[in-house]
Amino acid sequence: MARFIFPEWTQTFRKWALLLLGGAPIYLVALVMCGANANTLRVGYQPEQPVPYSHALHVGELGLDCRYCHNTVEDAAVAAIPPAATCMNCHRMIRTDSPKLTPVREAFANKKPIKWIKVHDLPDYVYFNHSAHVTRGIGCESCHGRVDLMTQIYQAKPLTMEWCTDCHHDPSTARRPEEDITVMGWHGENAKVGYPLTLPEREKAGLNPKNSILMNCSTCHR
Amino acid sequence: MSSLDRNQTQTYWRSLDDLADAAPELKKIIDDELARDGEAAGDGPLSRRRFMQIMGASLAFASMAGAGCRWEKEEIIPLGKRPDNYIPGKPKFYATAMELGGVATGLVATAYDGRPTKIEGNPQHPSQGGGATTGFAQASVLNLYDPDRSRHFVRKGGTLPLDASWKSFQRFAAEHFSKLAQSGGRGLRFLSEAQSSPTVRALRAEILARFPQAQWHEYEPLSRDNEREGTRQAFGAPMRVALNLTQAKVIAAFDSDFLIHHPAALKNARDFARGRRPDDKVMNRLYCIESAFTATGSAADHRLPLRSDLVLPFLLALEARLARNPGASPKGAFLAEPEVAKFLKVLASDLLHNRGKAVVTVGPRQPATAHAAAARINALLAAAGRTVVYYVDEDPERVPHTADITRLCRDAGAGKVHTLVILGGNPVFNAPVDAGFKNALAKIETSIHLSDNVDETSSVCTWHIPRAHYLEAWGDGRAFDGTYTLRQPILEPLWGARSDIEVLAAIAGKTETPQELVRKTLDTVLGPATIDGTLRWRKAIHDGFVPNTAFATTTKAPGPAPAVRLTASQNAGTRRANGDLEVVLVPSTATFDGRFANNGWLQEMPDFMTKLTWDNAALMSPKTAAALGIHDEDVITIKSGGRTVDAAVYLMPGQAPFSIALAVGYGRTHAGYVGGLASAGIDPPGVDVYPLSTTKSPHIIGGISVSRTGRTYKLVGTQDHWKMDKLGMAEREERAALLIREATLKEFKQTPNFVDHMMHVPGHGSLWQEIKYDGHKWGMATDLAACIGCNSCTLACQAENNVPVVGKDRVAMEREMHWLRIDRYFRGDPENPTVAYQPVGCQQCENAPCESVCPVGATVHSSEGLNDMTYNRCVGTRYCANNCPYKVRRFNFFNYREFLDNPKNKVTSLQYNPEVTVRSRGVMEKCTFCVQRIQAVKIASKNDKRPIRDGEIVTACQQACPTDAIVFGDLNDEHSRVRKLHESPRAYAMLEVLYTRPRNNYLARIRNPHEDLS
Repeated sequence: MARFIFPEWTQTFRKWALLLLGGAPIYLVALVMCGANANTLRVGYQPEQPVPYSHALHVGELGLDCRYCHNTVEDAAVAAIPPAATCMNCHRMIRTDSPKLTPVREAFANKKPIKWIKVHDLPDYVYFNHSAHVTRGIGCESCHGRVDLMTQIYQAKPLTMEWCTDCHHDPSTARRPEEDITVMGWHGENAKVGYPLTLPEREKAGLNPKNSILMNCSTCHR
Repeated sequence: MSSLDRNQTQTYWRSLDDLADAAPELKKIIDDELARDGEAAGDGPLSRRRFMQIMGASLAFASMAGAGCRWEKEEIIPLGKRPDNYIPGKPKFYATAMELGGVATGLVATAYDGRPTKIEGNPQHPSQGGGATTGFAQASVLNLYDPDRSRHFVRKGGTLPLDASWKSFQRFAAEHFSKLAQSGGRGLRFLSEAQSSPTVRALRAEILARFPQAQWHEYEPLSRDNEREGTRQAFGAPMRVALNLTQAKVIAAFDSDFLIHHPAALKNARDFARGRRPDDKVMNRLYCIESAFTATGSAADHRLPLRSDLVLPFLLALEARLARNPGASPKGAFLAEPEVAKFLKVLASDLLHNRGKAVVTVGPRQPATAHAAAARINALLAAAGRTVVYYVDEDPERVPHTADITRLCRDAGAGKVHTLVILGGNPVFNAPVDAGFKNALAKIETSIHLSDNVDETSSVCTWHIPRAHYLEAWGDGRAFDGTYTLRQPILEPLWGARSDIEVLAAIAGKTETPQELVRKTLDTVLGPATIDGTLRWRKAIHDGFVPNTAFATTTKAPGPAPAVRLTASQNAGTRRANGDLEVVLVPSTATFDGRFANNGWLQEMPDFMTKLTWDNAALMSPKTAAALGIHDEDVITIKSGGRTVDAAVYLMPGQAPFSIALAVGYGRTHAGYVGGLASAGIDPPGVDVYPLSTTKSPHIIGGISVSRTGRTYKLVGTQDHWKMDKLGMAEREERAALLIREATLKEFKQTPNFVDHMMHVPGHGSLWQEIKYDGHKWGMATDLAACIGCNSCTLACQAENNVPVVGKDRVAMEREMHWLRIDRYFRGDPENPTVAYQPVGCQQCENAPCESVCPVGATVHSSEGLNDMTYNRCVGTRYCANNCPYKVRRFNFFNYREFLDNPKNKVTSLQYNPEVTVRSRGVMEKCTFCVQRIQAVKIASKNDKRPIRDGEIVTACQQACPTDAIVFGDLNDEHSRVRKLHESPRAYAMLEVLYTRPRNNYLARIRNPHEDLS
């Protein structure tokens, strides 16, 4: 009986199979690390909103201050989404028949509220307080990015715990004068780069107070 | 000093089992903790193996779904127009009021986005103890979100189809009552629970004018009418007796739980504690003569357990002695017993010695003659106007409640009543059994009941109207001192319920809204407005009360003592064995008179004295039980006049001999899924004992007989749970001072630093470098001299911190979740022990043993010294709980929020405090020193760029405490109250030898016994 001889092509197949078997774990780990990463999954989250409101137009072009609409930001944990009445302050006169504004007029006149989709959504066990940040010199831009350039709002930062603690270790580089809180694209003299340094960056610069009061668990979790 | 040597520390015990020590049951609880956990996991519907399978499967699913996906899409729905001053997510505080037993209490409700989550006392209200609250007020917010409240009107009888709604009731009322008006309202009756509301009173006057033949009845099962009738006997007119304990040096309480079950309990407790300041060497002295062991009795310096029916002759003997008229004294054999005679002699001399600074108070279940005697004694002691204040009763013509309901039942039985409107209350359940209310009701053609749910009474009425919770409706009332108190609604009725005012307005044919009616009452109370009526109205609503509207007081002298006819046992009985047993029906600490039966917080709250949860029991002293051949947890039949009640026996140290105490308000059949619902097969907690109550003797029932049924019943209490010291008797004696320390005032004066002598603490330090706290250093001080064990703190903690209810079975496994427990220690003779309370929450140790054993860093120290618990990191190893010497950590063995999956129960989640994470299964939790409140104040003060003031941060337990026993603050602030208390000579740390350095210090209890009795 003749010996069975593997055909030639199995040699090529074996090469590929080994490559696949050996490469698969690496590929999978890389996939999870990059794919399931907050930077991939959350940054850039841009749901369709019921009203195509453009921050780029209102903030960037018209120069509205953030606090004209989000007026509770200095007093409360929640930077409230404005009631339709706030929109109607201007839209009573401007674009009164724009179909895009129908839900706003409906909400104002008929008490049918607009259901906005939440973009910056923290887990329920995180107790973020807007007033505690903006009254201590952390600008809107630090967490929300260049809102003045967004035609449709999206999440600009990962908003993960690691990202929060990067700044909580020592927020001094992220602080700006209080009158500049809402300025977009701020590059003040206090800031080295205008944004909070990450932990490695700060270690490099020799700025790393370990036991900051802001690093207590109960600062954010209750 | 000798009595304070550590070798002579007297034995403390937590229960009779603990005292006996050999009790196998206790041994089992202590030894088999781990084994029992394993067993418990197997015996439930979910075995450990099955659990692991499910967990494995769900993990697989979770990883398939992708670990990092976005969570649920959330919506933000802003209002079309936001009202002024409304900031979404920020709590607002509204003054309102709750009424219980015809007395209004001013409250402040915390509301998040329009949903009330927490109740506090109104700190500005003049008739109350600052911002403190009773347990009932704390728990009342849960009643608002009770899923078993009725959501529909119910109508029975008549022609089908029946349309039951508010509209149809209005139509029905318009037709029915205008027909009745033609006959002048013959056959029309009203039965109301006690109501102090002037608006209801005004409507009542209008209705009685429209229906001149109609009659208004009032009934309250736990009524204070005996006091009313007693003062009528003494003064010729009924009075409301209020105590002014700030002035009192000697207080004698006769069957009176004036610190807990009293309409002015909060004020009494505050004033009582203010008169006991050992550090200033100011101490009043409290004598208690009572049958059932009450919290007041446990606060007493001297307590005499005495059957309730012997309290009257004792009081008369005291009066005779004080009046120096020995001939008038009753001759009861018990008065000659050395213990009683000595007690009486010392009490009389102490009272006389403190004339003008002494007061006698008598409990509501004592007969009117006892109250009249108390009025005369208080006159002898020159108490009126000083330590006791008599308010003129606003409705002197009112018939006593029991007589009133008897009259109604008699008339109904005779067919004289065809329409009965019942406002609140539950008379079918709690009217005296011989009045025959249920039978009488069956003869009434149209009966309309306004109540929270379809209860025992509603289910046999022709109309059921859902009653609005006090947070849902406009109203008003009068506080115990008469202060006009307003009630504003915080939210619209959840299920379209209606208030008493709305129903009465519909009957009276009025078109005004309840708000307009209340405002009209305010204008009547205040007189016509001189400047701006709206401003005045808004201020009254904002404050929640109108100052200077208390009842008029009187200092009328009482008349001479009439001859009092005593019963045979009162005349000749001995204290221990006269062959005659009595039953005393006492208010329940959980259900009051039954109305809070469906409140899980209250049902699971351990009773002050027995520490029983989810049950009532026949309480008797160990010797009484031994004499009757009865053992703990035996079910006995109590027989009185042909009626029987079967109840489990609980041996209660300190219970008066031959007196059995039974709490009312249990065993309901139509309360709900918590308090018992026969139609759904839900067995009620406890047994209904109202069948023993008669019109003649509603609360003290003599001449009863008991027999054993041969059955036993498992009572579940927390008294032996969470024991911190597991050693035997000899060791316990040695080491009791680790936990609890006390002394008499005399000893304290001699040796101010006695706490340091009670326990030898070797000097020690930490192996690790000790951490310095430079910023804030949060600390707490708990004054055991002030604590009366009232449970307000535990309930406040439950409401504030979203603490779940676990149920009786789980409590039996030591799995109750209360972050703050109140340990109760007995000391001395089991027939008459003294009691010491100790509230124990997380001690926030600086060297926390829990932290070093957590494998995942879920519990770590904050830079302000708090022992932070991070739920999201916790993997549930329970190492921390096992390593906690104070036993204050609680584990979520199950998902106690599972009931929320039922859409019907979803409403309960509205109560949750949004500032505190709702924990799920498998997570450890514990007291956080209300870190959410600390953070709120810190953020607010930093926003305003100012330092935190001392006393600005108030923990939930501290806020609710009527005696100011809990103080929280910054130990680094030299002027803070908590720092001063920590520096007090009485301050000590629990289990100091372990060098955990707790941030909570206890201040040793100081008693003030009379020299001749100690």
